[in-house]
Amino acid sequence: MRRWVVVTVLLTLFVALVVAQEDFPIKVKLRMMVAGDQNMVDFFQYEIAPEFEKLYPNVRVEVVGTGPGPAGSRQIIQQLEIERDSGKDKWDIDVAIVHEIGAVWALQEGLIRQYTDFLSAKRLAVRNTDEIALGVNVDGYVMPMFHSQTAIAYNPRYVKDPPKSYAELVEWVKKNPGKFGYNGIKHGASGISFVNGWVYWKSQYTDKLLNGPYDKKYEEDWPQIFAELKEFNKYVTMTSGNAGTLDMLNRGEIWMGPVWVDMFYTWMREGRMDPNIRIFIPAPGMPGQPMHYVIPLKAKNPDYALKLIEFVSSPKIQARYIVERFNWYPAIGDDYVAPYLKKEVLESLYKDVKQEDLLKYGKPFPLTGYYEDILEAYEKWVEK
Amino acid sequence: MEEKIKSPMGFILILPALSVLGLLYVFPLIRAIWSSFYDRAGNFTLGNYAKVFELYTRDIVYSVAMTAATVGVVLVISIAIASYLRFRDWKFLDYMYRLPLFIPFLIVGHAMRIFLAPHGTLNALLTRIIGVEELPGISGSWTGLLFSFVWVMTPFATLIILGAFKALEPAYVEAAQNLGASKLRIIFDILIPLSGPSIMVATILTFVRTISSLTIPLMVGPNKPNMITIDMMFRVNYFNDWGVANSLGVISYLIVMVLAIYYLRYMVAERGGIKG
Repeated sequence: MRRWVVVTVLLTLFVALVVAQEDFPIKVKLRMMVAGDQNMVDFFQYEIAPEFEKLYPNVRVEVVGTGPGPAGSRQIIQQLEIERDSGKDKWDIDVAIVHEIGAVWALQEGLIRQYTDFLSAKRLAVRNTDEIALGVNVDGYVMPMFHSQTAIAYNPRYVKDPPKSYAELVEWVKKNPGKFGYNGIKHGASGISFVNGWVYWKSQYTDKLLNGPYDKKYEEDWPQIFAELKEFNKYVTMTSGNAGTLDMLNRGEIWMGPVWVDMFYTWMREGRMDPNIRIFIPAPGMPGQPMHYVIPLKAKNPDYALKLIEFVSSPKIQARYIVERFNWYPAIGDDYVAPYLKKEVLESLYKDVKQEDLLKYGKPFPLTGYYEDILEAYEKWVEK
Repeated sequence: MEEKIKSPMGFILILPALSVLGLLYVFPLIRAIWSSFYDRAGNFTLGNYAKVFELYTRDIVYSVAMTAATVGVVLVISIAIASYLRFRDWKFLDYMYRLPLFIPFLIVGHAMRIFLAPHGTLNALLTRIIGVEELPGISGSWTGLLFSFVWVMTPFATLIILGAFKALEPAYVEAAQNLGASKLRIIFDILIPLSGPSIMVATILTFVRTISSLTIPLMVGPNKPNMITIDMMFRVNYFNDWGVANSLGVISYLIVMVLAIYYLRYMVAERGGIKG
């Protein structure tokens, strides 16, 4: 008799479990790969993932970082290529964050899908970074996560009246040899950005460099441009990287140097940077870049990937995390973000470099072909 | 008959090790050499090597010189430490010289960058002691790089050389001491010559570890010239150009190979000498 009771109870429990199973939400593992510094991985893992999982309790977000620089993007592209070559129907990665160059590579290899038609946040993007990346039409395939920008940082203790343009900078450097520092081209992208800005200033075909077409004939004035840069470098301290420039600025070893704005403000907030140091973008401008969301062609959960991108691109999240916590410039128009920001945050981000400066002097990086040629020209004519 | 059964058995036994070696070392090596002859469009070319010699000749010379200098200084210091510890038992030194072994290259690079900067830790200390305001820093120059390399490579070499010194039959040393040889004489005439193979191993390992190091030159080294590894990374990261990167890799293989061949011939001569 007792045995029957036990068996019945167990059976009921089992049936109940099976029936209940139907109602259990299906767990979705949303895998994302993130190129970029550790702060970007942390951003998704510790800030966005918990918030997103609160919104969609059936989803677990898994974040994998692949490291900074184009190398990080390269690794993601390689992973996608492996997935493609394996011939699987469903790829393991649902969403990736890549540099502009990564987006271009992925697009050319046919690794990503069009999705921004379904993205309402896309309508809030005011700069054309969501349409053109390095001169390539990427419209529909990418949504920027944020914009980062390079600028020249200076120490007002030594530099009372900072130069306003590259031309004035050259004058200044001759008067203060060794007090301007940058990191060349092999030790981080703030130096590359400075060199690109130099070419934008000197070249008579800047428009072609930015918008195409790619043709070697627009590089005819480069030997002269780089000879002048070599001359300029004689008055300059070479630093050992993006962080190297910031370090030397902070210790007062150099008085001026190109930096990534977000890195600069983050260091300042963490107390690693002298709070008196300020920034400006010299005319005619320095490059900056967005990071882009892409959805792989055969992602397993494209719907949730889209929801995640929508979520992170919403004005509230952009304000609270992208701007306030991580000191990036928002992916969407400032006007949409401003209502969610504290006044002092808004002011501190735009204290030195105003919004109109950004629109005027915030340039994209050149077309890939020119970009590579600029780097190689620097190797050939400046480093040798 | 027995001979024939034995040999396939032996082969099967080493097969796992051999296949790992083949898969993880020989295959990538062949692929690297192979792809160094192809351009980005997939056509056969010698252009990668042309580009290497056009752009990176100075970097190659610099890498070899830097590595040779590192090996030289490391050998002097490690033989000095090993000799001292061979005769005197100084626990403190015995522990301290091993310390850098346990610190990752990345940390060393970062630490050295701060330590050797113009307003870095070292100079902050020096300025207090000697009272001079502005001292030049050596981070970001070849001297700083040499300093960091030596700091990081010495313990390993010392470990090998000290082991060899301690393994030597003490009778030789005692006999020399009885005949009135000074410590210095013993070091140069007995310890070093008899430890030849070990010193050779230390030399080669130091050389290979130095020339293949990326993080330390990236963080401490000068902006130009660059070590080969930095150029390889630059080519892959910014150009997605594996051809030139692999050509640079092949050239560093060749450089190391010269040393390896010399070592093998030396070892063969040595073995032959002992047997015959």
